Amino acid sequence: MNTLLLLTVANIKSLTRDRAALFWTFFFPVMFVLLFGVLFSGTGNSKVKVGWVDQDNSQASMGLHNAFANVPLLSLQSGTLDEEKTAMQHGDISAIIVVPSGLEAVVAKTNGKSSAALGLFTDPSQTQTTQVVQGIVAQIANGFNLQLANGSEIVKVEQLTLSSTNLSNVAYLVPSILAMALMQLGIFAAIPLVQQREKGILKRIGATPLARWKLVASNILLRLMVATIDGVLIIGIGIALFNVQIVGSVVAMAGLILLGAGAFLAIGFLLASFLKTEEQATGVVQVIQMPMMFLSGIFFSFDFMPSWLQSVARLLPLTYLADALRQVMVNGTQVAPLGVDLAILTGWLVVCLAVAARTFRWE
Amino acid sequence: MTESGEPVIRVADLYKCYGDVKAVDGVSFTVAPGEVFGMLGPNGAGKTTTIEILEGLRRPDSGAVTVFGMDVTRHAESIKQRTGVQLQTVSLYPRLTVTELLDLFGSFYERHLPTKQLIDAVDLGERAKARSMNLSGGQQQRLSIALALVNDPELIFLDEPTTGLDPQARRSLWDLVKGLQSRGKTVMLTTHYMEEAAELCDRVAIMDHGHILEMGTVPELIGRRFKERAVFFDTTPQLPMDRLSKLDGVTRASQEDGQTLLYSRDVPGTIGTLLALADGLGVEPHNLGIRQATLEDVFLDLTGRALRD
Repeated sequence: MNTLLLLTVANIKSLTRDRAALFWTFFFPVMFVLLFGVLFSGTGNSKVKVGWVDQDNSQASMGLHNAFANVPLLSLQSGTLDEEKTAMQHGDISAIIVVPSGLEAVVAKTNGKSSAALGLFTDPSQTQTTQVVQGIVAQIANGFNLQLANGSEIVKVEQLTLSSTNLSNVAYLVPSILAMALMQLGIFAAIPLVQQREKGILKRIGATPLARWKLVASNILLRLMVATIDGVLIIGIGIALFNVQIVGSVVAMAGLILLGAGAFLAIGFLLASFLKTEEQATGVVQVIQMPMMFLSGIFFSFDFMPSWLQSVARLLPLTYLADALRQVMVNGTQVAPLGVDLAILTGWLVVCLAVAARTFRWE
Repeated sequence: MTESGEPVIRVADLYKCYGDVKAVDGVSFTVAPGEVFGMLGPNGAGKTTTIEILEGLRRPDSGAVTVFGMDVTRHAESIKQRTGVQLQTVSLYPRLTVTELLDLFGSFYERHLPTKQLIDAVDLGERAKARSMNLSGGQQQRLSIALALVNDPELIFLDEPTTGLDPQARRSLWDLVKGLQSRGKTVMLTTHYMEEAAELCDRVAIMDHGHILEMGTVPELIGRRFKERAVFFDTTPQLPMDRLSKLDGVTRASQEDGQTLLYSRDVPGTIGTLLALADGLGVEPHNLGIRQATLEDVFLDLTGRALRD
């Protein structure tokens, strides 16, 4: 056990004394979160886009429309419910207001006994925007009631939720970037392994009585520690700076982070089995991680992709890790049910590790 | 512990192929306790493969290989506890310091020497806190020896310990190896430096193309082939070989890189007739000299080529 500890410490020192490696493992993902967070969190000066679905087409609904249109913070776009839902899922708009048919009739009666409910679709993971829109809608509904029915509640608001996969949504990005960081730390692990083999370090250690599993175990321990730190950093920044609402339990998130890191480490070990030189490893690792980063729905919503690209994305393990993290952390939309995500990640972990264990060469 | 007289290393009919290449093609030898045994040969001769089989890093195709009387494939673990290994490649965890590396490697063994003692033994005291990547070539090589000594081994393998070192660093490494020998350690080393083999080794095996061509003490190897001494000189143009080989006392003649080498049983006679020949052709020999035959000559004679390349 003492040996394992010393080896792990040796690995940690090797990492912390290597500025380039530090940059890639810690600062790069943090930089990503900060950059995208700042770029896309801003509800600041820009208007909140809201879909307007008028199912009443009456004077009353026109009145409501004008009331909303006069709110400087909102920008309305009209369409059918289906059109607006699609737009919201794509992140084009942040909320939908549905005016039910029969509003005019309710207003005409003004006896205070019947009422109509405005449908308001918001995305609970988009905390700030959702609060703003809910506030405005409540205020206008209230004003409407005061003006036309002396305060009796003829117009109610029915709160509905619809998740959006929105690029401008930091809550979507935080789990995505965490998935990216885990993918990179796993796949990049191939490079030092190939390097150590090429330089004969593995061979030299092979000439000592050290059991090989300890060498592998110390490597895995180091990477899992890095994964945990990356997770804390990225989630921490999301919460502290961008007010992301994390709904998942710590245990579930930690488990998922370790599973994801494990699956990609297994892929890294498998790569290290087949790559011979450090240059080769650096090249191949980039060729694998770059496209995976962009094709797995991390920065672009899955629904944005043409269907053939979606089929490609469905082959990539990163898609499922990002999907699982989004589901667990922020209740995001799903590409596949959580169980399927976990099964696929476990599959990658087991298969790659089994093949790597058979094919890995120490020299 | 090895019983006295019982060889530390015993290799009989060792074969090892890589695909079609016969790296080791029927090698047999023994190394006695306390002996410094050298394997000499050019790159690709099979030295490293042989030593790596003994270190437990490779499996032999066939042949009996025992260290401390134990089979290398079946008892690799216990053999590794009692041997020290220095490989050609030296860069180990470049960002760890000398002290950290020695502590780490020590932890791999059931028993190990104090790090301070090892650092002093290889004279790296001033660099104890330096990262191994910042050491000079000679210092890295000494660290690599210290790592090989970490478990106070009875048998130490050194694979080309001085390749790439300047003459001064090489000298200090030789002193280290001699120190090991005086402490009763058994050492097996490979080299392609004749001087190194002659300086350090009790016995030498000359290897080429997977075979041991000749084995024995250095004086034995030279005496077995060369009763003669060598007369050497430069001329421009070179003198005709057929005339040179007929000079008094000459048994063999060779020319390489402008230098002519005559092996002679009668040095005064050879020089006398050489000067007469040169004078007759109007050529003056430069840098004329006489020396005893060396390992280099033995190797040249055995393989038909010089070892340097």
